[in-house]
Amino acid sequence: MRVTAAGAGVVALVAWPWVASRYFVFLASLVLVNGIVAVGLNLLSGYTHQLSFGHAGFFAIGAYTAALLTLHAAVLPVPVTLLAAGALTAVVGLAFGVPCLRLGGLYLTMATLAFGIVVSETLLNLDWLTRGADGLRVPAARLGAVTLSGDTARYYLVLAVAAAMVAAAANIVRTRTGRAFLAIRESEVAAQASGVPVAAYRTTAFGLSAFYTGVAGGLFAFVVGFLSPDAFDLFLSVDFVVMIILGGLGSVPGSLAGAAVVTLLHDGLAAFQNYRPLVFGGVLVACMLFMPGGIASALRLRASH
Amino acid sequence: MTTAAVVQVVVSGLATGSVYGLMALSLVIIYNATRTLNFAQGEMLMVSTFVAWSVYHAGLPLLVSAVAAVLAAAVLAFLCERLIVRRTLAATHWDVLIITLGLSLMLRAGAGLVWSHDEFPFPSFFRDRPLAIAGVRLAPVSLGIIGASLVLMLVLYALFAWTRLGRAMRAVAQNQRAARLMGISVERVNSMAWVLGAVVGAVAGVLVAPVIFLSTTMGLIVVNGFTAAVLGGFGSMPGAVLGGMVLGLLENLAPLYLPSGIRYSVPFLVLIAILLIRPAGLLGRVERRKV
Repeated sequence: MRVTAAGAGVVALVAWPWVASRYFVFLASLVLVNGIVAVGLNLLSGYTHQLSFGHAGFFAIGAYTAALLTLHAAVLPVPVTLLAAGALTAVVGLAFGVPCLRLGGLYLTMATLAFGIVVSETLLNLDWLTRGADGLRVPAARLGAVTLSGDTARYYLVLAVAAAMVAAAANIVRTRTGRAFLAIRESEVAAQASGVPVAAYRTTAFGLSAFYTGVAGGLFAFVVGFLSPDAFDLFLSVDFVVMIILGGLGSVPGSLAGAAVVTLLHDGLAAFQNYRPLVFGGVLVACMLFMPGGIASALRLRASH
Repeated sequence: MTTAAVVQVVVSGLATGSVYGLMALSLVIIYNATRTLNFAQGEMLMVSTFVAWSVYHAGLPLLVSAVAAVLAAAVLAFLCERLIVRRTLAATHWDVLIITLGLSLMLRAGAGLVWSHDEFPFPSFFRDRPLAIAGVRLAPVSLGIIGASLVLMLVLYALFAWTRLGRAMRAVAQNQRAARLMGISVERVNSMAWVLGAVVGAVAGVLVAPVIFLSTTMGLIVVNGFTAAVLGGFGSMPGAVLGGMVLGLLENLAPLYLPSGIRYSVPFLVLIAILLIRPAGLLGRVERRKV
């Protein structure tokens, strides 16, 4: 049953550009990009119970890194560009996160909030590099001699990267790190007492989460083709939080479902901008009161571990 | 720079700082009672200040509008706590943070629908003409903010030191279970803490609105308040006031020595710096938790 459903999903995703119009191909790319962020954020929140209000900052770092690399080093193939975006974001994340993670809880959340705001202010002020508020046009991604222009090519790029990253996250429990994450999720105290270095794994989770978000940011730059600092505001960070709370903490399918719902709602409510925060705020409150496990536990999608 | 100019900057820094101090106090009052952070505190301040604006424009005197803001804040906080926050089964700080994040989005959007997202000038209690004291020209509004904040802080001090409610709140802050065993209703204290915090926030809102204009983006002041509270040692009430003053001074002095664009990043940079260097704050002690 699960295998059939998964197979049908794969076929649908691959066939999507043939059946859907250009706009919906673009929208599907956005869903997948946000899905990667949600999976990454969930590695942090789902396993180590740390909440970040600043993932838009990581997303922005990844996006600008990929855009600037493509602008100034056009020979680089797109996988290298994306890896560099992810790696740089992870480095920034660790440099910032290591000291803050000692504090945990509220402090980490508020520090990430501050981090996100400082990143978008910095992007605005570094106008010699980022062109500030004028925005940055992102050239098409290149893979050897091929230029990935057009919505379909970009969609397949996003799909390939998303597939790899989601598979990695879904199978993380097969690794030593993943088992440590599970132990920490169940009980930090018990994990620590059993010899799991909790602080080190918390840091790993933070770095991994930043890496995922950075790669997704790089993809976002190519999908949208235009970056401006005000796109990466506090509300984007909040959107990411809504995705995982709605989708379900610690669940990979839930993260994807949450990302899909939030992205589509965002698009559907584009004409009702003033109502959007009202809806998302309501979703957060309602999830916490009536559906604490999110979509994942409501549908019992939670992987059987 | 002349001494007079420095004094002027310091006074306006202290005025900003008083408002941050009040915001920090309102967060700390709720935190001490409930061990949770109300992320929607800034939006509650914004909504109650908008209520004051509406009452003022209905033709009532400014003082009545300020009272209306305080009442609106009290009712709003009471309802939020009673109807939403209290319903979470195990209200950990994590749950409450997410719920109040949701509330803050809803309040901001709701205020935008009622009053629009424009900026509005807000009437001040104080005259515009600067006072000249020994060659230093001071804005009455700055002195007024400082004075009013100090009065409110003293009232709070008296409340916590000498009243039954204040003692109950301090007891709950020290040890919830012991307080409950002594016959204190922790639920009532939580509820009162939300109301008191919101009232302090509403006063801060009415004081600061003439200076920064009234708009739905005002709610972000919660970050400045949090930074001030951390700066002073989160949980300490004198620390919150001190942290507010330090932050206000830094924010007003930084543009004199650094590029002026930095002003808006100051609270965030200070927050990151203090968390990295001295998370316990200037006055706080490191909190040790047993498992």
